[in-house]
Amino acid sequence: MTEIRNQLNSHETGPLHRRFKIMLIVVTIALSLLALRMWHLQVIKGEELKQKSENNSIRFRKIKPVRGLIMDTHREVLVDNQCSFDIHFVPAHTRDIQAVADRLEFLYREASLDFTREAFTPGKLKPFMPVKLEKNVSREKLAIVETHTLDLPGVTVDVVPIRQYLGGEMTAHLIGYTGEISPEELDKDESDIYSSGDLIGKSGIEKYLDAYLRGESGFEQVEVNVLGKVQRVLGKKDPEPGYNVVLTIDALLQKVAWEALAGKPGAVVAMDPRDGSVLALVSSPAFDPMLFSAGISREHWRKLSGDSAHPMENRAISGQYPPASTYKMIVAAAALQEGLITPETSFMCNGSYELGNRTYRCWRQGGHGRISLHRAIVESCDVYFYNVGKMIGVDKLAEYARRFGLGAPTGIALPREKSGLIPTRDWKKMRLKEPWQIGETISVSIGQGYNLVTPLQLVTAYSALANGGVVWRPRLVTQIEAVDGRVIEAFAPERKSILPIGRNIMEQLKKALWGGVNEEGGTGRAARLKDADVAGKTGTAQVIGLPENEKARKMKFISSRHRDHALFVCFAPVGNPEIAIAVVAENAGHGGSAAAPVAGKILEAYFERKKSPGKRPPLVISDHRTGGGVADQP
Amino acid sequence: MKFDRRLFINFDWMLLLVVLCISLIGLLNIYSTGFNQISARQDFIFVKQIQWVVVGLVFMTAAFCIDYRFVSRHAYLIYGLSILLLLIVFFYGYATRGSQRWILLWGFSFQPSELMKLTLILALAKYFDHHRRIEPYRLKDLAIPFLIMLVPFLLILKQPDLGTAMILFIIFSSMVLFIGFRWKSLGWSALIGLVFIPAGWLFLKDYQRERILTFVNPDSDPLGSGYHVIQSIIAIGSGGMTGKGFLKGTQTQLRFLPERHTDFVFSVFAEEWGFLGGMVLLILFMSLILWGLKIALRARDYNGTLIAVGIAALIFWEVFINIGMVLGILPIVGIPLPFLSYGGSSMVVLMTCVGLLMNISRRRFILQP
Repeated sequence: MTEIRNQLNSHETGPLHRRFKIMLIVVTIALSLLALRMWHLQVIKGEELKQKSENNSIRFRKIKPVRGLIMDTHREVLVDNQCSFDIHFVPAHTRDIQAVADRLEFLYREASLDFTREAFTPGKLKPFMPVKLEKNVSREKLAIVETHTLDLPGVTVDVVPIRQYLGGEMTAHLIGYTGEISPEELDKDESDIYSSGDLIGKSGIEKYLDAYLRGESGFEQVEVNVLGKVQRVLGKKDPEPGYNVVLTIDALLQKVAWEALAGKPGAVVAMDPRDGSVLALVSSPAFDPMLFSAGISREHWRKLSGDSAHPMENRAISGQYPPASTYKMIVAAAALQEGLITPETSFMCNGSYELGNRTYRCWRQGGHGRISLHRAIVESCDVYFYNVGKMIGVDKLAEYARRFGLGAPTGIALPREKSGLIPTRDWKKMRLKEPWQIGETISVSIGQGYNLVTPLQLVTAYSALANGGVVWRPRLVTQIEAVDGRVIEAFAPERKSILPIGRNIMEQLKKALWGGVNEEGGTGRAARLKDADVAGKTGTAQVIGLPENEKARKMKFISSRHRDHALFVCFAPVGNPEIAIAVVAENAGHGGSAAAPVAGKILEAYFERKKSPGKRPPLVISDHRTGGGVADQP
Repeated sequence: MKFDRRLFINFDWMLLLVVLCISLIGLLNIYSTGFNQISARQDFIFVKQIQWVVVGLVFMTAAFCIDYRFVSRHAYLIYGLSILLLLIVFFYGYATRGSQRWILLWGFSFQPSELMKLTLILALAKYFDHHRRIEPYRLKDLAIPFLIMLVPFLLILKQPDLGTAMILFIIFSSMVLFIGFRWKSLGWSALIGLVFIPAGWLFLKDYQRERILTFVNPDSDPLGSGYHVIQSIIAIGSGGMTGKGFLKGTQTQLRFLPERHTDFVFSVFAEEWGFLGGMVLLILFMSLILWGLKIALRARDYNGTLIAVGIAALIFWEVFINIGMVLGILPIVGIPLPFLSYGGSSMVVLMTCVGLLMNISRRRFILQP
């Protein structure tokens, strides 16, 4: 054996052995050093450190940041923060948990406040884990807890900022709401900036601009006594407040639009055609975003999400409707630009249009007689556009519609925007595996059939008509700024495209739209204004395929769900348009009678204020149940 | 490979026993760090760590069975592949917490920088074996091995992962000191080092400088990096002689301790098992390291000696730096504690290292095939 060993070690000469010895010594010394240090910490200073850990005297806690404000274009605050008080309980800070519960119950009952013992269930409690007794408590309860801290060991109050939605329901869809981050959202978060318990925007601007609004958490290390009271702040990193957001929205118009819809299903979008700024964006019915601020109850949530009127849906950007007669302007623009018709081209309307073995009716039973483009738009003659649509063909028409921004998301700064639908031959072959029928072109040319648009797309398209051909990306945010007013990001108007349509064609169309509101026989006369020249187009979107005349007769017999959607799109003043408005009133009947008056009210408010710009009615929220923080407006 | 009974004749049972003991302690400890007091449920990390131990054992067996001389013959190739992986991380890796270290391999997150530690040992062992000198090495003899270390060092530093990069440098230095180095050259390199330390300071990220500053004076920043150390010291100290008991460490269970399952696992262990538990673990680590050195001493060839020395050095330094840092006697750098920290790449690579040690140990007799 030794022989082999010697042989084996032949390559290990003296120095190698010496180095092994050195290594052995180094390792031994180093590890002994660790052992010594452990002895020092655990045995010599053990008691002291044990005390420290048992008193749990040093705590590290997160300080939630204050979320940024959201303001309208005149810097009127739409979303603010208020303090909410949560009551916590740390079981380890008392010897007798039930005694604390009894005491708290007694104090509450004395002031005739409600009390639930549920959180004190013995099995559930873990000594050092704070449990939340109640969220967002009333001032009465807060006062009781604050004044009786000595008899309520372990009960602490936490101050948390919560969102105040001053606009209430009228801005509910636009601004959205916030809530505690869900496990799924945490999973999806790759940037690693969120942690559980964080507040996150769940919809609307709150969601879209969450990264700007959220701010950055701060941290605090405090020494606390056995009762959990803070004795000394050892160190602190203040939270960074979120950035403030200035919207293009005009609170006044938003309010007028919301009130004009009067809670009935529908949507309104107003835009400045000069730069694409969205002045109002309303969807109705709405929900109360304050319900979410302090955490929504399950029952409330079930009620909201199960409501057949879909109050959670933002109809202005995700409601998809047939554009109906409002689409005729696109048909007219395409035909004129393609040189297929001139303004003088006329067709005979005797109330219906025959194609193959089918009859397509005009909305006016007796027909319009021989009619040319201008009057065909003013009176919204269907037969005229059947003829024109057939000349253009569905694919060419779709090309123009897309240029106007229809059938694709506009790119507004809001989540969950829908794209609508502009059909083509290829689309039908792809999706439905069927060839296009010529009759479908006829339906499409009056905005029925497969056509679907969102109210936002409509107002964008009509803004382009108003401003001479510029299609804007709807601009909802003016700028994002820090608390000290420093501009973090400014959003300039963004031109998506310029329509390849001649200047005089545009003028021609605008004149006809003016006629639709102001001339005798115009369909949109309800939006007429004495202060400004309004131009506009009505639309009545069929929900079920009854012939128009028959439906009008049966109107009162048809269940409301099957009534036509009323549409109206307009802009004013016609000479130099400053505001364009799209209104959709679901199942409300005729565009002229149900949608045009809504636009009329908004226009009236707009021009009224323009006359006396100094005087601005304050933003008062009508019918707001939880409007605690509404009173103190600057 | 045909079954060879001789594989077991000289099997190093002692080494296996020590490693299994340490791994079991590690699993127990991960169970504690992952235990959720509120829901009384276990996090996913415990199950994952078990999987990694099993995968590690498979790799250990593989590393044991394949003759290390065969592995060594391809050391440069393996080195090249590891560099390639690091480059992939560099360009395509994904980042968490601001550091790009991982790539996805068959659905698993894999950290090539961990593999690089072993690969570097193999490559250096092969180089020094080929360029063996009787008289001490001079500075210029070390230019190429220095380059072998420098390339992965820089790639890992860039991720940024200062801890792992440092380990590469320390492995290199340890192996160089072992092979024998002229005193004069040692003086020169120390001088160069002294010049480069201030320059290196400029290259450090802010948070890294902060950590070194807080090491010098932890109370200067009780919230930032000082917080880790203070909480770690409280946790360890409060464990006392016998510890608070399994799952009973309040510092740990109340989540005061940051990075409980990665860099600060030892604090968790020392809090729950006290000084005695800590000593048992230290003695186990010491046995492992000294056993590794013994294997190095008795290896049949110089190459085997060098590999074993490298592996022993790797384990020693990681243990020393990690425990030293949680005890507050070394600055905080992200270095895992072998076999205890949560993490698949580190576990698998270390198990492979141990497999190699067994391999060298069993082939120690020259008469064997």
